[in-house]
Amino acid sequence: MAQELTQPKIRKAVELTSPTGRQSPGAGKRTKAVLISNIGLVLFGAAFLLPLLWLVLASVDSQASFALKIPHITLGNFRQALANGGTDALLNSLVLALVATLLSTTAASLAAYALVRHRIPWKGPFLLFVLFLTAIPMSILIIPVYEMYVTLGWLSIVPSAVFLAVTSLPYEIWLLKNYIEALPEELEEAARVENASTSQILLRIVLPLALPGIGAAAIFGFVNAWGSFIVPLVLISSSSQTTGPVAIFNFLAASDIHYGDLAAFSLLYSIPIFLIYLGMSRLFVGGFVLRGAMKG
Amino acid sequence: MAAEDEALERTAAFETVGGFPLPSGPRLDREPYRWQSVVLLGPALLLLLGLFVVPALYAFYLGFTNLNLLGATATHFQFTGSANLKTLIHDSTFFGSLSTTGVFALGSVIGAVVVGMLLALALRTGSRIVGVVAGGIVVVCWMMPAVSAAFAWYATTTGGGTVASLLGSPNLDVLASSPLLVVVVANIWSQVGFVMVVFGAGLRNIPLEVLEAARMESATAWQSFWRITLPIMRPLVTTTVIIVLLLSLANFSLIYIMTQGGPGTATDILPIYSYQQGFTFDNLAYGALVGDALVVCATVIALIYVRASRVKV
Repeated sequence: MAQELTQPKIRKAVELTSPTGRQSPGAGKRTKAVLISNIGLVLFGAAFLLPLLWLVLASVDSQASFALKIPHITLGNFRQALANGGTDALLNSLVLALVATLLSTTAASLAAYALVRHRIPWKGPFLLFVLFLTAIPMSILIIPVYEMYVTLGWLSIVPSAVFLAVTSLPYEIWLLKNYIEALPEELEEAARVENASTSQILLRIVLPLALPGIGAAAIFGFVNAWGSFIVPLVLISSSSQTTGPVAIFNFLAASDIHYGDLAAFSLLYSIPIFLIYLGMSRLFVGGFVLRGAMKG
Repeated sequence: MAAEDEALERTAAFETVGGFPLPSGPRLDREPYRWQSVVLLGPALLLLLGLFVVPALYAFYLGFTNLNLLGATATHFQFTGSANLKTLIHDSTFFGSLSTTGVFALGSVIGAVVVGMLLALALRTGSRIVGVVAGGIVVVCWMMPAVSAAFAWYATTTGGGTVASLLGSPNLDVLASSPLLVVVVANIWSQVGFVMVVFGAGLRNIPLEVLEAARMESATAWQSFWRITLPIMRPLVTTTVIIVLLLSLANFSLIYIMTQGGPGTATDILPIYSYQQGFTFDNLAYGALVGDALVVCATVIALIYVRASRVKV
């Protein structure tokens, strides 16, 4: 963070000390480097675009197939995709993701606050354990969790959301721990002097200050649950509770694939994630935290 | 009266060491434990205990039972000792799956890290507009939910898809002819954005004076990358490699949607083999044991990750 802030100053200082830096001997070399970089970026950009291009074109093509071609423009695919159970699947995904987000973010915020501000036995080892868990892809525990849920009769949407909450919990704790650590403690001390209770301090002082961090944690939890495929596939037994990704899988496994509808549905299912990231980049211009970005 | 009692108690609380009074009772030089901590930590601890620690231990127990998905042993399963382990040792599909997992994970890591680094470097030197567009595309690919990405890649690489028509032979099915390569490329495609963003942030933190100094000494771009940029970014590269490795190791969605582990066992990485044993072939206990192998691998790598992160807590 601090380094990022000083960066423009350094840049300016470098330019001041070598005012002719850009035009002097290295100038030809420099334009060559820019050219090579641009060519590389265009090639990679085009290659990365290809699968997306098909998805977008097929979604508005009334005669869509796997071939990449000029579409016969229609919006019927989107209508079809939403009519054939698509709306329900998206709503189920929304419920699943919201429950998981609410649970994980609440638990992570409270735990992170206690870990930063309170004296807790074995705090160090516990934090290392949390960091360890951020690296463990917890979906590999799907079989034991399935067996537990079968025994408890829990194979439905809300218990699945609880497991998804756990899969994002360690990273959210870690993220919020780092965020709360950076908040000034003076305000809380002042409130304590005024005899504010712990819950008052949390709600009136810590919550508003930590809101951007909590927002980032919530976004991580939501994206994690919204995108999960194996968890709802295994842990939700009722077909009326099918979520978006499982619906895509079922469409694809059907004997006659409606390419256009499936492409349209995949886009509809992906759009919330793009919107969330777009909103996030507006909210946290500058020193933002992407998964792993602040782990180093 | 009460005040006198209190005063008396206070004097009684003083012990003397070497003639000096020593206060007993709560220490004031450090914060006391608070009961609120239990309430605050409670939900997180309960969730981690119930749905991580317990299932992780349960997974190891299940691996040594005769649990099935359906039938009599679905509810009344027993401990069968090392029976499953013996099957595992002679299971050539398992070892095939293990090596497929290795190829898939390593291929993904190398591809994602190399391409991610190239893109991060190119974004720094290239023109702004080109960078915004190309970088934007790569980031969108990364954000795309795994299942949508898998479907797009399936459609692109299957017979009659985009790749076939670009190569001029519409019936070419690259997904069937070189499935492992295709899923590795698809996985790289969906991870590069993350690597690029992380490395981009890392590159911004390299002091410009250092690179400027190297240029003064007429170091080539190649030299300053290997001798300056890379050594400074080494911790970041290490942690990124581990994250991509673990994400690839546990990949399920991408491959399951694209090939379901096939054709044959060509893309049958451990998470898929475990799932199939459990939920397709009815053999939950054996699936759990295969999953345990994965848990062990992930644990070792995650421990390396904790060490490499060098956090002070």
